[in-house]
Amino acid sequence: MSEENEVKVKSEDLFEVEYMSRWQLTWRVLKRHRLGMVALWILIVLYLGAIFADFLSPYNPYRQSLTTRFAAPTKIRWFYGGKFVGPYVYPLIKEKDPVSFRTILREGSNLSKIEGVDREGRPFSVEIGKDGVESIVLMVRYRETACSSQGEVTYRKKTEELDIVPLSMVDELLGEGQYVRTYTSSSYVKALTSKYAWKVKKIGSPKTVDVVYELDSVIVSLKNGEVKEIPIASVTDYSLKRYHVKFFVKSWEYKFLWLIPSRIHLFGVDEPAKLYLFGSDSYGRDMFSRILFGSRISLSIGIFAILITFTIGLMLGGFSGYYGGWIDEIMMRITEILMSIPGFYLLIALRAIMPMDVPSHITYFLMVIILSFLGWPGMSRVIRGMVLSLKEREFVQAALAMGFPARRIIWRHIIPNVFTYVIVAATLSIPSYILGEAGLSFLGVGITEPSASWGLMLAQAQNITYLTNYPWLLIPGAFIFLTVLAFNLFGDALRDAMDPRSLGA
Amino acid sequence: MLRYVLRRLILTIPVLLGVSFLSFMVIAAAPGDFLDQYRINPSISPQTIERLEKQYGLDKPWYVQYLVWLKEVIRGNFGYSFQYHRPVFEIIWRRLGATLLLSVSTMIFIWSIAPTMGIYAALHQYSFADEAFSVIAFIGISIPNFFFALLFLYFAAKTGWFPIGGIISLNFDQLPWWGKLLDYLWHVVGPVLTLGTAGLAGIMRQMRGQLLDQLRQDYVMFAYAKGMPERNVIYKHALRNAINPIITIFGYNISGLLGGAVLTETVFGWPGMGRLVIEALQSQDLFLVMASLLLSSVMLILGNLLADILLAWADPRVRLRFS
Repeated sequence: MSEENEVKVKSEDLFEVEYMSRWQLTWRVLKRHRLGMVALWILIVLYLGAIFADFLSPYNPYRQSLTTRFAAPTKIRWFYGGKFVGPYVYPLIKEKDPVSFRTILREGSNLSKIEGVDREGRPFSVEIGKDGVESIVLMVRYRETACSSQGEVTYRKKTEELDIVPLSMVDELLGEGQYVRTYTSSSYVKALTSKYAWKVKKIGSPKTVDVVYELDSVIVSLKNGEVKEIPIASVTDYSLKRYHVKFFVKSWEYKFLWLIPSRIHLFGVDEPAKLYLFGSDSYGRDMFSRILFGSRISLSIGIFAILITFTIGLMLGGFSGYYGGWIDEIMMRITEILMSIPGFYLLIALRAIMPMDVPSHITYFLMVIILSFLGWPGMSRVIRGMVLSLKEREFVQAALAMGFPARRIIWRHIIPNVFTYVIVAATLSIPSYILGEAGLSFLGVGITEPSASWGLMLAQAQNITYLTNYPWLLIPGAFIFLTVLAFNLFGDALRDAMDPRSLGA
Repeated sequence: MLRYVLRRLILTIPVLLGVSFLSFMVIAAAPGDFLDQYRINPSISPQTIERLEKQYGLDKPWYVQYLVWLKEVIRGNFGYSFQYHRPVFEIIWRRLGATLLLSVSTMIFIWSIAPTMGIYAALHQYSFADEAFSVIAFIGISIPNFFFALLFLYFAAKTGWFPIGGIISLNFDQLPWWGKLLDYLWHVVGPVLTLGTAGLAGIMRQMRGQLLDQLRQDYVMFAYAKGMPERNVIYKHALRNAINPIITIFGYNISGLLGGAVLTETVFGWPGMGRLVIEALQSQDLFLVMASLLLSSVMLILGNLLADILLAWADPRVRLRFS
């Protein structure tokens, strides 16, 4: 029984080997290469992302938003009060760090509903959308108190309007009517109290500073322009306004597939909330959108450069390998010279010849030319070597003896034999072009602002303060890494699959 | 052998001439020259600029400049740097130290562990260590240097375990000799790891692949069959044959010693050759660029030659082909 089975399988194999084309066979081997397939899928997703970049981007990648510089990746929440409500976000508010005076963007929240008792003992209930209520703003009393072992002194009192309440204080402020933040670090305390030194002196040197926020009143504005103020005694219930992530939303205009004008994007949230999946950069531009747009440059430059390199390499290498003689001699000397100059210097020197202040699509074009100029000598030499050895093989000799013209021999007999190598080498050398572009842009001599490329975006992380405070600036680097890794893995799998020895297996 | 080396050395001359001609042409073809920054400065008179132009020979067409430069180079004079007003080799000399320190440290790092890792992986094929090494190798090959450098800087800044760039600490001069050594080692960890991961991966994979290839050969099976101890089979027979491509890579590594690593040096603020060349290229400091490019090219060619010689020394078959 089992023997019969075996025989059957073998004849099936034979059928496949005899009747499947070369490409089908290759694909069959490739499919078995697990890592290679994963890499292929990653590449497909990345390239789809590049093609549909504008549809997938919630924000215009070139529009700056200086109020939201260096926003951390927006936290997407799924639950509210223990219940699943779907993805939503909270808006951002600016807070100034009292010591470094650095602005930090934190999550805050608007109120959509508040119920409670006012100071005259009457219950009240306000909800946005009901009774013409348009917005709810909290009035908060705010005081700073320095404490030491000899006592405490309040040195600053203020009333503040909070239309967006920081999320960290919302529960305590509304639940207990008071929110206290205590600063203990000595540099913090010094910075906070130094302006009021004459007041603070009375208690010696303070060890801590308490900042106390107390609920004062609610300001309600109605649709008809009326503004009501309700002094609050206590709050019994409240709910926060959620900005749900919406799909197929209308926002900035673009051309779908470079053709159809459209305003529809896959997802987005309503203003003033922001949906920065990967945070925002030093100009407040959305990193996610910029990475998508950057992928158009970073992912395509390698493909175009490799196409040009291989056309040149195949032509020149094939020519000098097939005909030999003085053409071959000159060509090889030229490639030798080009290969004796360290690659990256040549890259930059060539970039220096080209004009710097040109539109970005011309820069892109120049970079493709420079990158392929760098790659062709190596390619030509390898192809020349292969053609040289193929020329001596029997089947080419036979074709020559049969009197076929050179063009036919090159196209029908030699090129197909070189082609396997060419495809594998192309896949494996695309990463070096991607890295070349990224490196040039990183040094500021490649793609320039405001265009986006992964290398250029990563250049912002060169500033060590930016790097340590806003680590999401490193995300473009992770994309370069992922792409290069995927190409390497896929190229490796392709090399195995194209190896004739593996085809029958 | 000696004749072969001599022939290769003589062949180097036209290549170097070509390199210098091409580089000179490329740099001269770039719009503007070094004096542009003086021209836009209103406090420098046109007479001064004219005088400087004459002094540096910038008023002549570029091929005349090239011939003049070539004549001086043959006499051993590589010219003055426009920017630093010093002979170019004085400047290169200073940067060379930093670059050599970095590249030699990197080479020691790579070559002390990569071949061993490769051999271990080949002898324990499909073991956990082998798989782990090949994952590391793929990551090492794929991670861009500048991205790795930034990740390292982030790590260094967050933990405070390593300095964030530079080559020595501020108090370097006050340190005792061992303190100086430690201080240097402390600074070089980041750049060496950055440059090392990439090189490491390539050599390791090559070593593993070659050794595995050799272990499958008939002569290895024969050696086992006649009862030769495993140690001898592996280290005296298979390894001796597997090591050839690794020697070639070693030669290439030597050729890159003086090249400098532009991106890594930039991120780590390492005052090496790479940054010198970039800065010189950007300010169009012609002679400085030419001298450094020529130096790197000489190194590249000599490194390749050295690789061939080493290979001939290690492999009698290659030796036979040479003579």
